[in-house]
Amino acid sequence: MTTSAAAVACRGLSVSYGDVPALTDVDLEVGRGQVLALLGASGSGKTTLLHALAGFIRPSNGEVRLAGAVVAGPRIWVAPEHRKVGLVFQGSALWPHLNVLDTVAYPIRRRGLSRAEARNNAQVLLERVGLTALADRLPAQLSGGEQQRVGLARALARDPALFLFDEPTAHLDPHLRGVVLDEIARRRQALGAAAVYATHDATEALAVADLVAVLRAGRVVQVGTPEQVYECPGDLDVARLTGPVALLETDQAAGREPPGLARLVRTDWVSFGGDVPGVVNQVRYRGPHTDYAVDVAGGTLLVRETGRTCRCPGDNVGLSIHRTWPLAR
Amino acid sequence: MSRAASTPAPRGTGVVRVLGIVAVVALLGVLVATPLVSLARGALDQGWSTMAEVLRDADVMTALWHTVLLAVIVTVISVSLGSALAIAFDRAMIRATAGWRLALLLPMLVPQFAVTLSWTQAYGPGGFSDHLFGVALPGLYGPLGIGLLLTVDSVPLTWLIVTAAMAVRREPDLARAARASGAGPWATLWTIDLPLLRPALTAAAAVVFVSSVNSFAVPQVLGSAQGYQTLATLVYQQLTLSVGPEAFAQLSTTALLMVALVLVALAGADRGLGRVVRGQARYGASGMSPASAGIRSNRLVVGGVAAYVVLTSVLPLLALVLASLSRAAGLLPEPKNWTPSNYVVALTGQAGVALTRSVVLAVVAGLVVTVIASLVVGVGGESRRRLGTAVTLGFAIPGSALAVGTLIAYGTWLGGSVIIILMAYLAKSWALGHRALLAGVDRMPPELTRAGRASGASPVTVLRTITAPLMATALATSFGIVVLFALHELTMSSILYGPDTATFAVVVLNQQQLGEIGGSAAMAVILTLPALLLLGVGTLLLRRREHRLHPGEVRR
Repeated sequence: MTTSAAAVACRGLSVSYGDVPALTDVDLEVGRGQVLALLGASGSGKTTLLHALAGFIRPSNGEVRLAGAVVAGPRIWVAPEHRKVGLVFQGSALWPHLNVLDTVAYPIRRRGLSRAEARNNAQVLLERVGLTALADRLPAQLSGGEQQRVGLARALARDPALFLFDEPTAHLDPHLRGVVLDEIARRRQALGAAAVYATHDATEALAVADLVAVLRAGRVVQVGTPEQVYECPGDLDVARLTGPVALLETDQAAGREPPGLARLVRTDWVSFGGDVPGVVNQVRYRGPHTDYAVDVAGGTLLVRETGRTCRCPGDNVGLSIHRTWPLAR
Repeated sequence: MSRAASTPAPRGTGVVRVLGIVAVVALLGVLVATPLVSLARGALDQGWSTMAEVLRDADVMTALWHTVLLAVIVTVISVSLGSALAIAFDRAMIRATAGWRLALLLPMLVPQFAVTLSWTQAYGPGGFSDHLFGVALPGLYGPLGIGLLLTVDSVPLTWLIVTAAMAVRREPDLARAARASGAGPWATLWTIDLPLLRPALTAAAAVVFVSSVNSFAVPQVLGSAQGYQTLATLVYQQLTLSVGPEAFAQLSTTALLMVALVLVALAGADRGLGRVVRGQARYGASGMSPASAGIRSNRLVVGGVAAYVVLTSVLPLLALVLASLSRAAGLLPEPKNWTPSNYVVALTGQAGVALTRSVVLAVVAGLVVTVIASLVVGVGGESRRRLGTAVTLGFAIPGSALAVGTLIAYGTWLGGSVIIILMAYLAKSWALGHRALLAGVDRMPPELTRAGRASGASPVTVLRTITAPLMATALATSFGIVVLFALHELTMSSILYGPDTATFAVVVLNQQQLGEIGGSAAMAVILTLPALLLLGVGTLLLRRREHRLHPGEVRR
């Protein structure tokens, strides 16, 4: 796949607010139909990057291509309304003075259709996404989950080649999160559009993405498949962002790593029943599974076991470690 | 008790709260309701037929027509211009620094009659543009000039209201969503920003309409000599010429007509607002980052605003200052023609006494209004909203009508005393203090006082250690605004003053009507200074304080 065919391609993209750099030298590529998750803590530059792709921010350096066409670069600037992107916001950003039907009709109307035509098309779209019952409601009369679904319908109405999601589930209850996330995945797949999905939640990022880009302080520190960033994080920060972390001192575990390195052990890389001796230090019952912190020589490991708690702090246990990953300390 | 009642939340407890409500209702009865009822009774004093006769009177109908025409045109232009300024500022991301703010608010800080005088000195026949270039603004004396000055006077107000509305809750994502949906910058402005600002625009329109109906100084200086009457100048004229009960009934009817006019306009605005607000959460404007706004005529906007400020405020005020320094009218503005004698006259003798009287009246009004406004705000809950509406009504009643009503109600005991002037000031400016305090309360979430109580503080301690420090800004603002209002007030003062109780503003008007240009100009300048001083010092202090309390907001 060549660069020109990619849905999104950034090269050397930098953005700064005054003197404060918000993004530095970002290179990214998202193929057609692919989903890229932007994973990073708050303030890492996720929203800035999305806004640069959507056209709300003019980069101070570098280039953005959408479907092969340069939309931002030296002397080139395409306004947001002329980029074919569908944006879903963290806080839904529904217009308080427009009801659901008119909200979804809005992007259609901007394409030059008459009010009646736009409403008809919006009606069809609402039917397709199962929101017909809400057509007359104003945003204030919608629940959080409904608002987010309407926000998604508005983005769909734009008929975009690229979706941009800015933590669309951050304000939702855990239950609604699942519902909205499923809907997003379904709709996007049906359209075959590419997507960039910003989130600080590792499980979400790993679940939705074909590719994960980890952002820190405005820089992309690692890009890879979900498996790669989870199993082979580049450093301790990335490891912490992508899942639960337990570390072992190297010399204790294997003894052949150079000094200054530690070994990452994920919860699913270790299990009870083995010859590594340990003492249970802490027990956390989490419903579907129980997390145990177990002191072993060289560190404390996290062990996850499905089902109810069946060990107590102070119990002597044996562990087996299936896999470790070296990390700089 | 007022201090105790000024706790915004939790609400004043039990007995204190009831006492507060009773006091507020009693005050509203004395200050607003009684004058209104008296006005109605005064109008009906000579029977329905006299009233009907007044309503058929050609002069009254002409004045009504002039008033409505002016008010409607001024409202339309002022709201368009004020909101255009506010949006242009927002879009061009001109940081509304203290300097810009001051420049745009200048016409509001200068008394209306001073602005009017300054325009006649700058652009009128015999004014400076006439002297220097032989050009005078045609029609300055007459409806065109009146409309122009009322517009200049009210644009800052609409700018302020719209800017405040946009600052309340900025949600740039709303505009971004529109742009991402394919709307260009102008389509976004039209379909998203303006509809979101509708409540603010409606409110601004209502305030401008009411204040142009209320305005007396502008039509009096620019229209009355030419025979162009509005209801406000007609009431004044009828009062100065009135003899006998029949004339007084006429006058009351004219004043009542003003009240009716304002109430009709407000009812319309209220319906408009109700339609917009129903079923919607409160929201501000969208507003975006400059790059995305796409309207990047920064320099053009800055130049336009600067030219506007210079033409409408700076040059006229300069002309006013020069006129006040001039030895005689018509001399060239050169240092050899300058004299301080106008200022000496303005600060000594009768004028000096009137100045002292005005300052004392203003300070007393400021203190009393702040106290009674905190009573209303302290009541809290639904009662606060209802009482607030009644308080606002006091502001909406045109000054001429309120003054005539107050005169009829209390004239026999208090006529010609400063007390009756003070009462009218209180009734009219209560709403100003109320608004200022409400703004303070809005910025103070109830959790703060609850946290104080939960930390073991008694209600009084919470008031002293949490509420008072956080409300200090709002209390000072309330005091400052009311002082300025009272210092500048002319409409009611000109009706209520007695032989020994002329306020400074009344003296200025009388001087002007006598053709004493230098003297009236000097006095107008003097009356403008406290506003600038108060604003300068206040802004400085507030900024330091706000910066300490809300460091993030100030920098934005």
